[in-house]
Amino acid sequence: MKVLIADDEPLARERMAAMLAELPDVQVVGQAADGREAVLRAEELRPDCVILDIAMPVLDGLEAARHLAQLESPVAVVFCTAYDEHALEAFDASAVDYLVKPVRRERLAAALERARRFTGERFRMPAAPAGQHPQRRTHICARLRGNLKLVPVSDILYFLAEDKYVVVHHVGGEVLIEESLKALETEFADRFVRIHRNCLVATDRLGGLKRTPDGRMFADIRGAEAPLEVSRRNLPSLRKLVKAL
Amino acid sequence: MAEPSSRDQPPASWLPDFCSLSVVGAVMLVAEVVVLVIVLSPSPQGMDLQRLLVASVFGEWLALCCLVSLCRLKPVWLRVQPRWGPPIALAIVVAIAALASALVKWIDEGAHLGLTNQGDSPFDFATSTTLIAAIVSSVLLRYYYVRAQWQRETRAQAKAQVIALQARIRPHFLFNSMNTIASLIRTRPEAAERAVEDLSELFRAALAAGEGMSTLGQELALIDSYLAIETLRLGERLRVDHDTATLPADVPIPSLLLQPLVENAVLHGIQPLPAGGVVEIRGTATPERIDLSIRNPRPTVAPAHARGNRTALENIRQRMRYHYGDRGKLEVDAGDGYYLVAVTIPRA
Repeated sequence: MKVLIADDEPLARERMAAMLAELPDVQVVGQAADGREAVLRAEELRPDCVILDIAMPVLDGLEAARHLAQLESPVAVVFCTAYDEHALEAFDASAVDYLVKPVRRERLAAALERARRFTGERFRMPAAPAGQHPQRRTHICARLRGNLKLVPVSDILYFLAEDKYVVVHHVGGEVLIEESLKALETEFADRFVRIHRNCLVATDRLGGLKRTPDGRMFADIRGAEAPLEVSRRNLPSLRKLVKAL
Repeated sequence: MAEPSSRDQPPASWLPDFCSLSVVGAVMLVAEVVVLVIVLSPSPQGMDLQRLLVASVFGEWLALCCLVSLCRLKPVWLRVQPRWGPPIALAIVVAIAALASALVKWIDEGAHLGLTNQGDSPFDFATSTTLIAAIVSSVLLRYYYVRAQWQRETRAQAKAQVIALQARIRPHFLFNSMNTIASLIRTRPEAAERAVEDLSELFRAALAAGEGMSTLGQELALIDSYLAIETLRLGERLRVDHDTATLPADVPIPSLLLQPLVENAVLHGIQPLPAGGVVEIRGTATPERIDLSIRNPRPTVAPAHARGNRTALENIRQRMRYHYGDRGKLEVDAGDGYYLVAVTIPRA
């Protein structure tokens, strides 16, 4: 079984690797020092199991697990943390098992046994419907020409719905995601505002509003190439927001 | 679990529970005392038992009328803003006293019972009764207010102690350290040994905190122990730039005053940064005071759950105020991408 270790503490990774090396049929294929690296390495190395620390920089273990659940190859997630205050939330994110540090050898072996069973069934973890996330994501996971990409939510300018996709326009370009605008609006209600039936804009990127000679309204988005059209329906609430900024 | 959480909440109003037996007893006792004082005070009628009895019955009846009304109005006390509770309660007492005494006087005159002073008009009788009721209930309300205030302060004090204790013995820190040591035992036993020593020192200090004073030298040594453990744990991500060698070691300061500030710098500054950073600790001493500053980089987008930081700062601020009054200072400069805490400790 191929295992990926994700922990921001080098000594914790070292110990985990040493303990895993003593287990039969287990191969440590890689290590990651934060949640973002864990997701990207998992995509690249396709491990059967990821042992995820919860308190990690950039992307914490819980959010990393949510992104891992959307990978093409199923991966068993085993959480590993110093203190079990997150235990319930972790199981909500469909973890296979939950370990507390310092991890006991027998306990680790049992967790990997459960992970092995999980992989055997080729169980596909259902993606939690957006809006029901225990907490907001800090990154959006997308695929760009076959490669996984994690876009920080703070880098996103706006979401634009097109057919069955949503295009995420961010500082470094654009990516497609298969999520509904409605769900994104609910999840990021404090950061993004609806300006049109097909468009959500980051509140902190909003510039001014201006009217064209033919009577249509447009909003300037800082960092975006062109202003975006505002629908008649969303105009009153948007006006109030722009005034308050 | 329901009880402690409801106790944590600020009371909706400091008004006493008028339906409780203790309040009813207290109010009736006060009413009787007032009646006694009035009857015993020198007057043309002199002291007689019948007058005392009549006045007692009237006084207690009036007190009960007020209590029952206030008890029945319990839903109101829960709904109105706390500052409106007492004036409303007072107004109700005044209204009841005025109406009841006027009624009594009217019945007495009509039936020629001669139970009240014959010379008074119903208006005079009602006025004096109402004034007495207003004064007595104001005093009682004031008493309950002071008592509620005192209870709240005691509660805040106890809570501060609990917070301090929890902050010192953070389970995350303990178990992460244990994990670090478990890892070191295999590969570097001498480093594991040192880590055990450092950890013991930290816990010894945590358990003794609050029991008097420590010295600056001991506090700085504690910071070194703490940073030694965290450096093992975070590896190259945690770098420390120390400049405290010139500080006098024997200045007395409250124990565990400074270490939590360094802990904040590591937990909220270095740990969330994938590349880590430098914690700068600088100190200067003059004959009047010691100035210490702790500066750390931090992520520009703050993580959602960083509430522990403010609790610790508030606790340190409280303890500094207690020990140094206005002469001690704790200033925070939360800039873009960095965090700076400056502490001023007066000498002697």
